[in-house]
Amino acid sequence: MVNIDVIMKQKIIILAALTVLLVLIIFAVKDFFFSKPGNSNPYEFELDKVRTGDTSMAVWAETHQFKTTLEEIHGITTDASGTIYISGKDAVEMLDAEGKETGKFPVEGTAFCIALNQEGNLLLGMLDHIEIWNNAGKQLSRWNSCGSDAVITSIATRGNNVFVADAGQKVVYRYDKKGNLLNKIGLKDPATGVPGFIIPSAYFDLGISNDGNLWVVNPGRHSFEKYTFDGKILTSWGKASMAMEGFCGCCNPSNFAMLNDSLFVTSEKAIERVKIYNADGSFNSIVATPDLFEPGTKGLDLAVDKQNRILVLDPVKLMVHVFEPK
Amino acid sequence: MKKIFALVFLVFLFAVQFMNAYGIQRFPKPEFESGYVQPETLMPNPRAEVLAIMDIVVLIFCLSVVSWLVIKKRSRNKVFWMSLFALAYFGFYREGCICSIGSIQNVTLALFDTSYFIPLSAIIFFVAPLVYTLFFGRTFCAAVCPFGAIQDLVAFKPQKLGARLNAMLGVIPYVYLGLAVLYAATGTDFIICRYDPFVGIWRVNASFGMFVFGGLLLVSGIFIARPYCRFLCPYGVLLNWTSRFSRKHITITPAECIQCRLCKNSCPYDAIDMPVTGKNPDDKRTMGRKLIFITFLIPVLMLVGGWTGSRLHEQLAGVNGKVKLAKQILNPVSDKNQAETFEMEAFKSAGKQQSQAFAEAADVLHDFYIGGWILGGFIGLVFGGLIAGLLITKHHTDYTPNKGTCLSCVRCVDYCPVKVT
Repeated sequence: MVNIDVIMKQKIIILAALTVLLVLIIFAVKDFFFSKPGNSNPYEFELDKVRTGDTSMAVWAETHQFKTTLEEIHGITTDASGTIYISGKDAVEMLDAEGKETGKFPVEGTAFCIALNQEGNLLLGMLDHIEIWNNAGKQLSRWNSCGSDAVITSIATRGNNVFVADAGQKVVYRYDKKGNLLNKIGLKDPATGVPGFIIPSAYFDLGISNDGNLWVVNPGRHSFEKYTFDGKILTSWGKASMAMEGFCGCCNPSNFAMLNDSLFVTSEKAIERVKIYNADGSFNSIVATPDLFEPGTKGLDLAVDKQNRILVLDPVKLMVHVFEPK
Repeated sequence: MKKIFALVFLVFLFAVQFMNAYGIQRFPKPEFESGYVQPETLMPNPRAEVLAIMDIVVLIFCLSVVSWLVIKKRSRNKVFWMSLFALAYFGFYREGCICSIGSIQNVTLALFDTSYFIPLSAIIFFVAPLVYTLFFGRTFCAAVCPFGAIQDLVAFKPQKLGARLNAMLGVIPYVYLGLAVLYAATGTDFIICRYDPFVGIWRVNASFGMFVFGGLLLVSGIFIARPYCRFLCPYGVLLNWTSRFSRKHITITPAECIQCRLCKNSCPYDAIDMPVTGKNPDDKRTMGRKLIFITFLIPVLMLVGGWTGSRLHEQLAGVNGKVKLAKQILNPVSDKNQAETFEMEAFKSAGKQQSQAFAEAADVLHDFYIGGWILGGFIGLVFGGLIAGLLITKHHTDYTPNKGTCLSCVRCVDYCPVKVT
């Protein structure tokens, strides 16, 4: 009797163990052959937390929104009188400091960037060449094409010098006022320590600081590089990071402007945000957080007006966001 | 002179390690520090060359020592301690990769895909245990394989399953091996790695499901000793075949068997063949009939299996990425609220033509059609062999380890009263 009990017990144990084994095999077969394809990318970076991150460092507030009447907008600049110039598809529009339209003139094609020279004339970057217009809408000159691969994304002027950022050919051109090429800046040269520009997308900005040097964004390296007008690299700063203190994605910042001649106002794409950095590259403060922009907004061009207000061009909402200290 | 050569060789190896230090950062890496969690991957990080060579040295060392302990010293205790070392090194330290079981797939893929570069360590981990088995039996299973080691630790109440049940369950590893080879050869998947039951335990950070998978296998292993080794392990199939031809397999008794039967119940793996005493029960005529029947049966089973396999080739190929994609293109998501699969998004963004995707899927289906025939034929052969094994009984007088299924754990030796003086 005892033996039968023992045998039965053994059989039950074996059956249970075999059942477990069988269940595992069935699970594996089901998982392999019958699982449905998912629609999630396991490597996707969840940006929601970054987009809605800490905003306690936002010491600027949006005070105005200026609508534009242009169909497409790309560049913004201001002059000493406070006039705001916006370049875009087929036209340039002028607003006063309160956002009221004061003028508008047509151009042939799209002006991707805009700058003012000492004479108060407008320099427009028209994909592959520069055009100079006065604010009455008269074209004064048209320079030669920078090349068939040229994509002009930014212009800055100082004295007799005109600097043109060409994202297509990954170089900065230095011209004189008449459009004569003086030299190229930023071509990779290990001998002089110039790393070369890495520009995965057509966002490539430059500006001139009060000390008379050229600052160029190297977006693929998430950094700012400082050059003399002759093209000698002096210094650089920047940190790749998803955190607020750094620049994220493949290539950022997309645009910048100088504030009080020493601070850098930067804008980014992918995580649409506007921030301020000190002259040494340390993080200063937040101007605008992603919730102010439509997701996917790119090309938030920047300008600082005479009242030290920060103007952010929003090409999706077709407006200018005006920020002032809280 | 030898020392100098060895030193130069070591310096060379370390130099190879640091070659990449000369690489210039061409493009900054994306930053993934701020809250990004890397998903679990099937394979751990690549191994440095020097460390991969160290793995090979440790493998050869373990195989040599364990073979010596099994064949010469016949010491269960020492074999047990070696198995603990293997568990610590190949299991927890090496996180189960690379392992000989998974190397089947690397070798298969290398044979069928010339663009695949197979690491030297994968080749050695595949070949070395087979070579040692050819000489000394399955000493790899005894105490070098971490899978065996961890299962051995929990085999507290092993039960006898009986010859028929053992034989039937023993077919599963053949099917698994066939499928693993088919999916590796077609570049579809490494299913042995995907369903590695213990990788979650080695790496500690595996998903809950993987922990449960390994945990349940260990629970069943309390009563069915080494269930993975005996009824799942595809590499065990190769070792089983090789071990049958081993030159010096472990014996239960070091001298003549005195038929004391003490070892009868000592093997937790049912790997001791009982004596078939007396005359062979089958006369020549019956044996002849059986042989004719088997000779006829095996090709028929192979044909039926092959035909069945070829009929199932679409189902088998259904898990291939290219076939999956073609199916998704043919049956696009109709519900606007339902997101498209990641593969479809990737296909669309790559700008490939649909015709190209279909052509690639058709090639894969053709491969699976051929593979289905071979896999089915192989399974038919296995069933034929199983039936042949049950029909034909071998005549032998002693209690002997079954050279194919014996895992050389040396437990039975302790039960044998015959000692060499």
